[in-house]
Amino acid sequence: MKTLWVALSLTGGLLTSAAFAQDLDAFRDAVTSGEIAWEDVQARAQEEGEINLYYWGGSDQINVWMDRFAAPGLEAEGVTLNPVRITSTKDAVDLVLAELGSGKGLGEGSVDAIWVNGENFATLKQQNALFGAFADKLPNSANIEWNAEDPRALLNLRDFGVETNAAEMPWSGQQYVCAVNTERVPKENAPSTFAELHDYLTANPGKFAYVKPPHYIGNTFVQAAVYAHNPDGDGARPFQKSIDELGAAELARLIKPGMEYLKELDGLLLGASGSGARYPEDPSALQGLFLNGEIDFSCNFGLYGVAIGLRDGTFPEGAEQFVFPEGNMIKNKNYLVIPGNAPNPAAALVMANYMASVEAQASKLEIAGMPPGVDPWRLTEEEVAQLTAASPGFVGITQAELDANTAPDTNATLVDVIEATWLEHIQRDSTDSIEKIVERAVANLN
Amino acid sequence: MASRKTNELVRMRKERWLVMMQLLPVMLVLVLLFGGALVLGVAQSLGFAPWFGVNTFPDLTYFKALWGEPSFWRSLWLTLYYAIAATVISLVLGILVALALVRRFRSKTLYKYLYKLPLMIPYTVGIALAVIMLGNGGMISRFMEFVGLIDDPSQFPQILKTHMGWGIIAVYVWKQTPFVALTIYAVLLGVGRETEEAAAILGANKRQVFFLVTLPQIMPGIISSTLIIFAFNIGAFEAPFILGGGFPDTLPVVAWRYFNDADYTLQLQGMATVVSIALMASGILYSYLAIYRRYERRIGRH
Amino acid sequence: MARRTESTTALGDRLSPFQKLYLWLIAGFILGPFIPLIVQSFAFRWAWPDLLPSTWWLEQREESIVPLAWDYVFSPYSQVWEATVNTVFIGCVVTVICLIICLPAARVLARESFRGKAAFEFFLSMPLIVPEAAIGIALLMIFIYVGLAGTYTGIIIVHLIPTIPYMIRMLTAVYQGLGRDFEEQAMILGASRWQVLRLVTLPMLLPGVIAGALFTFLVSTNIFLLTFFMGQGKIITLPTLLFSKISGGTLDASAAGITLVVTLPGIILLLITERFIKEEAFGKGFGN
Repeated sequence: MKTLWVALSLTGGLLTSAAFAQDLDAFRDAVTSGEIAWEDVQARAQEEGEINLYYWGGSDQINVWMDRFAAPGLEAEGVTLNPVRITSTKDAVDLVLAELGSGKGLGEGSVDAIWVNGENFATLKQQNALFGAFADKLPNSANIEWNAEDPRALLNLRDFGVETNAAEMPWSGQQYVCAVNTERVPKENAPSTFAELHDYLTANPGKFAYVKPPHYIGNTFVQAAVYAHNPDGDGARPFQKSIDELGAAELARLIKPGMEYLKELDGLLLGASGSGARYPEDPSALQGLFLNGEIDFSCNFGLYGVAIGLRDGTFPEGAEQFVFPEGNMIKNKNYLVIPGNAPNPAAALVMANYMASVEAQASKLEIAGMPPGVDPWRLTEEEVAQLTAASPGFVGITQAELDANTAPDTNATLVDVIEATWLEHIQRDSTDSIEKIVERAVANLN
Repeated sequence: MASRKTNELVRMRKERWLVMMQLLPVMLVLVLLFGGALVLGVAQSLGFAPWFGVNTFPDLTYFKALWGEPSFWRSLWLTLYYAIAATVISLVLGILVALALVRRFRSKTLYKYLYKLPLMIPYTVGIALAVIMLGNGGMISRFMEFVGLIDDPSQFPQILKTHMGWGIIAVYVWKQTPFVALTIYAVLLGVGRETEEAAAILGANKRQVFFLVTLPQIMPGIISSTLIIFAFNIGAFEAPFILGGGFPDTLPVVAWRYFNDADYTLQLQGMATVVSIALMASGILYSYLAIYRRYERRIGRH
Repeated sequence: MARRTESTTALGDRLSPFQKLYLWLIAGFILGPFIPLIVQSFAFRWAWPDLLPSTWWLEQREESIVPLAWDYVFSPYSQVWEATVNTVFIGCVVTVICLIICLPAARVLARESFRGKAAFEFFLSMPLIVPEAAIGIALLMIFIYVGLAGTYTGIIIVHLIPTIPYMIRMLTAVYQGLGRDFEEQAMILGASRWQVLRLVTLPMLLPGVIAGALFTFLVSTNIFLLTFFMGQGKIITLPTLLFSKISGGTLDASAAGITLVVTLPGIILLLITERFIKEEAFGKGFGN
């Protein structure tokens, strides 16, 4: 009798979880094929009740915005936002992969959404850990250009050169901009090319530093240098190919002049006259150096970085943005991705929809200075006006200048190789040739 | 006759069992967790990590790769240097404070509160203080600009973030001098001043009194306190991470960097690093203790 | 205990001028850096080479959208309150558990002798010698396996490792000083085991127990690396919060404020220990 009961309850349990899983799979298919009605998604989201958003918690402004605007905004839709601050996006990605590996499928994981771009997205895609093509099927997806024919849609369709297939929703755009303290250095003296930077530092040694790779901001500086020193002269274009298409030898040839320039620059950077160049570990350290006048220029992702910095006292009063490096101010987007084992997928979709709304984008712009990820040509005039009014404004630079000097990131597969080459060639001061180092790095990728 | 003996044996066994029971909880924590972690670390460093898909136990490649790199030895040297320098400086400063504390002076009660403060707060606070005081943009640098000695932060001598490690050593000294002072002061109180006074009466001058009387008396306190702080300094992470000079870092920071890498083989190399740290720490401290025991036996204390 | 005599020999009982100056310097070294820290916590912008902030926090308070300096520290965004509660809670629980398991063990170590005692004592001291960094990751793996990673229980258990050696040393010293005579005399006079424990042993143990408890609490509230690993970002304590704030190597106003908040429990602890514990009690644990 007892065995019968056990058997029955086990079967019952299996059947319900199977039904549950099947139900989730059906839901996912309905979403990715665009067949589900938005009201059904909303109803389901309210049933699920909460959404766990994992995001980098190092910015006080973003944290404030999450608690003060995003949470109430989602509460109004019947979903409780649970913002999980993490120190490194990679931790969330690792968590998703670990849970996937231990058999937790859709509806059973811990992570509903992650703020990602670049390598981290590429890892999730490669490991088949994505929910699927949802980002172009939500009501507010209309704010974003998905048309593959339109060249302006590039950053929505490709993330560090990797096809997104609408598996992640663009959240913010960004561009790599540098700031100068005009009270210490007259604006005319600020360099606009790497050659000018080199000359400036020869005259004023030790007055510059960039964040150390493997931090992504450090990687961006290295990328810009590599583009500018491309021996073929076509900037970022060859770096859009993946490592398999390029091959180690070709990559080595392309990055060699850039790496040698950086090696030479290493002798002119902050601290180089003493015991060796000191590279700050993260952007807040870099800003501290800039505030105290230890370095004259500070480069970071942040279209509105100076405006926000002036507002909260982290930037000196004379800080202004300027064009550097010419033609290679890397521009990209960052996204919200829903992993394949999200516990509350419908709530995640509602959140993604909210995040793409003009209202959320405007308040995020105003509070945190994060540029909008929606495309202005898809919006109505009032909406564009709303965004413009919310903007903290540029300081010392114009939109035209910013648009004239853009460049994309490298392909996601190249990031690790370039980073490893920098670490070997410049930090460890290896005597091996660049070709050898790149070959080793490519071999280590697998 | 026989029954009394068996009663005796039964009682002894029950007593021993009681002893074991009383020791059991502590044993559990230490053996299971601490011991288990050590064993796991050693096993992984030797290649036993089936959960990563690696099982080449016993495998010395990780150690070979680690010890083969010259940067490892530089890191080892840096770790030792910061630890020794900070220990020696804290020792000297602490003893001097303790010697002053046994005297009478006004506001001694207040001072006894003050000097213990660094003991009670985490190292990270000390690091924050070092940043604000010793950085190139810090208070001492600004003061030097105020009096006209420098006019650019880069002219301030680099204290933090260099391999000379003055910032790191300063933080250790700030935190550990009170500890040494407290320990030595307690020992001095316990020992009393009669011997010192007797020596003074017999004609010894101040220096002789200190070196020939006081120092041997406080030696146990010196040994135990330096043991504890040296052991701590070798394994310390926060200060070298924030205030260190970058590559090559001290060993705990090196291990951290390995652990944070995505590449799993580097995780195992990180384990090799921490095992090396544990080996080095135990080796040094054990020989330190052994030498001291021999010295004690020589002067006939035990 | 030795007597303190009023001596009139050449040794003298007062401080020499060098010693006076030295004590002043040490006091300055210990306390001095707190002054700019306090100033920074009230500053809006304080850059080199200003000796005082160019703009104070109070001036900018109204104009900022986001809370600044002390507003931020006391706001929910800074997570300071959560960290404080966690730190104190974990510290108290660790102290209680450590006391409970170390008391019987210390009694045994002080009174009995058994085979392998020396080895056991050596093993007890090992956590003092082997650094947290060496066992941290391995412990994390064990705890993930058992499912205790990121839980309060996990952190509490892990905190026991560095605190047990200190607690046992201090309690053993206390028991050694206790001597069996009092207990035996009480029993001869007719007290039951329970009465002996309550009326004789515990009151004599109390100073040492309090010292051990305070020291354990102190150690637990200062632990960074083990809490960081075991907490997995889910449970934050004051050391981990502060570390993530200053790990870049710069200190802005809110970081300075948080540093001061982290110092506060230490100051309270200092006031308590100094009032109730004599130097000797601390010294006993380490003087041998």
